[in-house]
Parts: sequence; structure tokens; C-alpha cells
Amino acid sequence: MKLVKKVLSLGLLCILAVSLVGCGDKKKTVDTEKEQVSEKGDGADSNSSTLKTIDQIKLGEDYKDIKATIKFLTNRTDLVDTIFADYIKKFQKIYPGINIEYEAATDYFEDITIRLTTDNWGDICMIPTTIDKNELPNLFVSFGDKPSLDKEYIMLNNFSYQDKVYGIPSTGTAQGIVYNKKVFEKAGITEMPRTPDDFLAVLQKIKDNTDAIPMYSNFAANWTMTAWDAYIGGSATGDPDFMNNGLVHGKNPFSKRDDMTGPYAVYYVLYEATARGLIEDDPTTTDWEGCKGMINNGEIGTMVLGSWAVTQMQEAGENGDDIGYMPFPITINGKQYATAGPDYNYGININSSEENKIASMLYIKWLTEESNFAYDQGGIPIKVGAEYPDVLSAFDGVDLVIDNPAAPGEETFFNDINNESEIGLNVDNYHVSQVLEHALTGDMTLDEIVADWNAKWSKAQEKFGIKVR
Amino acid sequence: MSELSVHKSSGKSKGFIKWLKSSKGQRATVVVTFMFIPLVLLFVFTYLPFGKMVEFSFFNMKYIGKREFVGLRNYIDVFQRDDCFKALKLSFYYMGASFVQLALALYFATLLSFKVKGGGLFKGMLFFPYLICGIAVGFIFKFFYTRGFVLDSLLGFLGFDLEKLPYWLKDMRINNISLAAASVWRYMGQNMVLFIGAIMSVDSEMYEAAALDGANYWQKFRYIILPSIKTIVVLNLILSITGSLSAFEPPYVITGGNFGTGTYFVIMDRIAHQNMKVGLASAMAVILLIIILFATLLQKMFFRYVFNDGNEDSSKKIAKKMAKEAK
Repeated sequence: MKLVKKVLSLGLLCILAVSLVGCGDKKKTVDTEKEQVSEKGDGADSNSSTLKTIDQIKLGEDYKDIKATIKFLTNRTDLVDTIFADYIKKFQKIYPGINIEYEAATDYFEDITIRLTTDNWGDICMIPTTIDKNELPNLFVSFGDKPSLDKEYIMLNNFSYQDKVYGIPSTGTAQGIVYNKKVFEKAGITEMPRTPDDFLAVLQKIKDNTDAIPMYSNFAANWTMTAWDAYIGGSATGDPDFMNNGLVHGKNPFSKRDDMTGPYAVYYVLYEATARGLIEDDPTTTDWEGCKGMINNGEIGTMVLGSWAVTQMQEAGENGDDIGYMPFPITINGKQYATAGPDYNYGININSSEENKIASMLYIKWLTEESNFAYDQGGIPIKVGAEYPDVLSAFDGVDLVIDNPAAPGEETFFNDINNESEIGLNVDNYHVSQVLEHALTGDMTLDEIVADWNAKWSKAQEKFGIKVR
Repeated sequence: MSELSVHKSSGKSKGFIKWLKSSKGQRATVVVTFMFIPLVLLFVFTYLPFGKMVEFSFFNMKYIGKREFVGLRNYIDVFQRDDCFKALKLSFYYMGASFVQLALALYFATLLSFKVKGGGLFKGMLFFPYLICGIAVGFIFKFFYTRGFVLDSLLGFLGFDLEKLPYWLKDMRINNISLAAASVWRYMGQNMVLFIGAIMSVDSEMYEAAALDGANYWQKFRYIILPSIKTIVVLNLILSITGSLSAFEPPYVITGGNFGTGTYFVIMDRIAHQNMKVGLASAMAVILLIIILFATLLQKMFFRYVFNDGNEDSSKKIAKKMAKEAK
């Protein structure tokens, strides 16, 4: 008993000591930061106005002797020790004085929203979609004016406000469906489906002719259900104005359309596939990491995921060549479209010291232009004129639709309605999960579900006094 | 005049130092310095956030952006929504489970407090689940309940037909029971250890006396152990029932609140973190707190009137009775 007590007290002592040391360390870094700021403050204005914009900076020429340590918050827990570590090495060959510390979070989306409420969360983060546009200038450094940056980069709309750009996309994704070519072959499918009903027929064929699961929903992972929302804009309407203007001002935007386009058609695929038993047996116990190997081996026919997923599926086993990518099966006036948009955007902390801001800007420019990150991940490169990866070759003849920004003065409308109505497009999986649930239990038809959404959406539109066209 | 007051104050400080040096003063210093850190931690991590939450509940706000004072609007909204209180009904599953949990804990605690071969090992094994973090427990049970995995193959060995087994997490008739079972597995060990601790404090001479009188194990349990640990049983019962009102980890991790398993907490989390209605979620939390306080009070009263309060010692009661009879 005595020994136990001794050991316990020793343990406690250790914990106390460690926590004390921890406190001391933190204080120190804060102090040095302050010093840096005050030193700077003597000379030029430490205002962001003296910062060069990202298009003016010349990599490898400007700020060669800058010294800084920057903290980078990221969602890619899988890349921190491998690809990102490699990037740091390469980047430091040009800028040996800049040190980069990555911090990855599994629950990134929820974590970052709360951490952004403090001033010193780090220097670079991936901006979450929960940020309202009018808050961007209070939180992030401007990369430059939109018109001039548009010449260099694409997909800057999502985090631009009043002609200033506050986020540079890490990579772009095109939205389509991942499928296994061998499974399609075995099932006797010769022509790619172009409408929702064609696609459901294809799934039925896979079910009848092979042992594969026709469509794996990844229901249990939750965020994979949110991914369905990505198709309701460009892929389902072909209209770049749909997300930020059409939905915001639309009257009952979720209703069924006669030509089977629009949001209804997207959720129709999910509802019918589930109701007809074309998804996995038990959606509540799906396994995200496991599904990669399963589609690689031909145990899964299709999965509805963005183009970023293709590389991961290819690398998950020996049959990488079997993985294909196709546009979402909706045809608008005889033509197919695909939503294309930025993945997470990089943002720089407005409260960082001047050195850290510059160092962050340099690293982001390097990531976007030199690292080849987007290409290697099977995404659309952000730099204008860069080469597209092979994955997207399936999209020949398919128009990529990039969402237009909201009309001036209406920047916050989409988020306002989206939050108030609690539908949570692109934010919350709940509404999509409900589609699958009701399809499985059969207690609500899809028409009843979208009627409910329409009612909530309209109520929110009314609350904010948004004109309905 | 001023000189006088200075004089006075310096005299006071001298007195203070003197007092500090006295044994009484030293005791006070020790008490204050030892209390300081835990109290600061308690304040910073419990009372300060709680105060903030109460404040938030009166605002229409997001984490980032402007806040607008709306008075009691959020509280009215909570009562007008149909999903919040519907979710509280799920607590009955967890309450039912907590009775099973306490009965099991009491059973194992009684067995293990007598001489059992490998008692220490069993105690450790039963207590172990409590040490695993809730998220990990969630993942364990996700695989445990997966079609054709642990539970199904186990039942398969026992001769059950796999085709006839239900989907443990999908079937809406039983999925809440599955989740409650996971929480029983996790917390049973903790209750058991508390019970063992209480049982150990029972005077062993009582057992000897009972044995001489020819009492069997059940009688020993019924007339010696149970009355002497009544206080701790009641305490555990109250903790389990109030805890089941705020069940969160199993549904959040295992099913994500889908298929009718979204408890009050899961819905609160969604409203705060996905729909960014922080004020509304704070109001929900405050309302739940009031419900829990009320439930605790009700239970306290119930036990006082039905069992004459768990706090009372059985020996005292008997003494009283005897005194009455003597009169």
C-alpha cells in the first residue's frame, strides 16, 4: 500500500512539474512574439497594407533571409508525416529561415470553428465553410485584389469579399462518381449512364450479375453523406448561378422538376438506390478506411465521391487501374455538367506577426505553384494553365461548372438561410442521412421529405426578407 | 490624523505577520495555498464556461460574428421545437439500462467481496472498460455490432441462425437497447468498485455472528450488506439516472444519432456545431440542467419518503425502534 502511495505521489509530482514547464514555455513564445511585433512597430506600419500581395511576390528572390516559425493547421492527418514533411524540406531549400509546424486534427471542421474565435490559433489554416463572408477581413490576411489574382488562379470566389481574396484553394475537385471498371464489365454494362434512371438500372445490373455491392453509401462516416450536396449545383443544373443565387432566391428549390434535373434528381438517386436494396446490407456499420480496399478489389461497384477520392481508391490495393471516374448521371438538354469547386482554402491569420504573415504567404504561394499538390492528389490545379491529372480525362465533353459568387450585398444570404433553416447544405449530413433512413424504413416518400425542406427553406427566406423569384 | 492612520495600518500589518507565524496562521496558509490551485482549475474550467454558456443562451449568435441579445427567445424556441423533447424520451432506454447496470454491479461486488479465486483479476477485468475512453468504446462497439462480426459470430457459435438475427444498429426497435448496452458495459465496473469499497467497510464480525446464527449468503446480503451500503446504492442510482438524461458518447460515436438514436445531447451538438445556433444550443443545455436538478430533487424526496432516506444508518433505525418498543 505504501509503495502504491509513493508511486502515485511521484506520478502526480511529475504531472505537476510537466504542466508547470509547459506553462513557462508558452509564456516565453508569447513574449518573443510580442518583442518582434514591437520591434517592427518602430519602423514601418505593421499594417497589412505594407504586405506584398501574393501575385507580386517572387519565390526565391524576395525575402530571402526571413526568419520565422509558422504553425499550419490542417485536416489532412494522413499526409502530415509523409508528403507535408517532404514539402517542408523542399521549401526550406529556398527559404532555410522559415520553419513550418503542421498540426493536424481529425475532427478538423468542428475544431477549427471554435479555435478561430481566439487570436493566436496559428498562422495558416484551412478556412471552414462556416465563416460568413463579412467576417473574412476580421480574421484573415488579404492575398490581393480579386481582378488581378483571377489572372493567376482559379476558383477564388468562395472566400472573396468586396473584391479582396482571403483564401487560396489548396486544390480543386470535380464532382462525379467513383466506379470499378471490372465490375461494370462483368455486369455487362457497355454504355455509361446519363440519367438517374439509367444509373439505377446500371446498379440493378451490378446486383443481378455480380457479387459486388452496387453502391456503397459510407453512411456511418457521416461526412460522406454531406458530399451528396456537392452535386445539386453544377452537376444537377449546369447553372453556375444556382448555388449562390438560384437557391437563395428560388421558390421551393428542392421540388421535383419534370426533366429530372436539379437537387431532387440527386437525392432521388440516393433514395431509390436505398429503397430498391442497391446499397450495402447494413449502412450503420460501414467502414470508410475499409471501403477503399473493397472498391479496389471489385467488391463495390460505385461510390458517390469527389475526384479527390480517386487517388486514394487507386492506392488502396493492387488493382488501381480498375478505378474509374464518371460524371453524375444527370443530363440537361442533352448535355452533361459537373460541379467543380475548391477544396479547403488556405487562410492566413490577421493577428500573426509581420514576419509570420510574409512567411505564410511565401509558403502558400509555393504550395500552390511549385508543390504539385493538386496534381498529385488527383485534383484540379489552382494555377491558371497548369496540367490536369489523368483522372479527369473521363470528363472530356463534360462542362465543368464553377459556382459564381453571390450578388454584391448578398454574400451572407446563403449561409444565413442554410443555418436558419437547419438544412445545412454542405455543412451537415443530417438531411442527406434522413433521405437514406426514410428510404430504408419507407415511412416517408422523397416528395414528402423535400416538401419539408422547402417549407423550412421558405420560412428562413421570409425571416431574412429575401426576395423570392 | 494621517500619521495616526499610517501608524495604525503598520501595526495591523505587523499583527498580520505575527498571526501568519502562529500555528493557526500557518494552518490557514497551508489550507489556502493547497486549495488555491484546485479552486482556480475548478473556476476556470467549470464555473467560468458555465457562466459564459448561460450568457450565450440569451443571444442569437454564432461562434464568429455579431451577437444579438434576444432575451428569452431561445428558451421559447426550445419548447416550441418538437425534436428536443422527443429526444428526451430516449433517456428511458438509458435509465432502464442503469437499473440493470446497478443490479449487475451489486451482484459482482457482493461476489467479489467474499473470498473468490482470482478475485483481484476479475475486479481488474470488470473495471477495465471504464478506463477506456468513450470514443474508443464507441469504435469497439461499432465493430462489435457490425453484421457478421463479433456479436453475430458469437451468437452463431451458440446455434443462432444468422439470417434471423436483427441488425443491431439499423433496426429501430432495438438499436437504442444496443447502445444502452454499450454504456452498461462501460460503467458497470465503476459502480462495482464503489460498491466493493462500501462493502469492505462492513464490520466482518457481523458476518461471523450471522454465520453462527445459520444465515446463508442471500440472507447475509439482504440483512447485512444491503442495509449498510444503502447510502452508496442510492447515490449511484441518482448518478446513473441523471447521467442517462445526458447520454452522449455511444449514440454520437456509434450511430451518429441516425436511425432514431439522436439523444438530447446529440441534437444539441448538431444545433451548435453544424447549424451554428450557439445561443439556442446553450439554452437547451441550461434547460437540461434544470431538468436534471429537478429529477435529482424528485429522487431525493422519493427515497426519503419510501426508504426513510438512504443516509440513515440501519443501526440507528433499529435503536429507534427498540426505544419505541421499550416505551
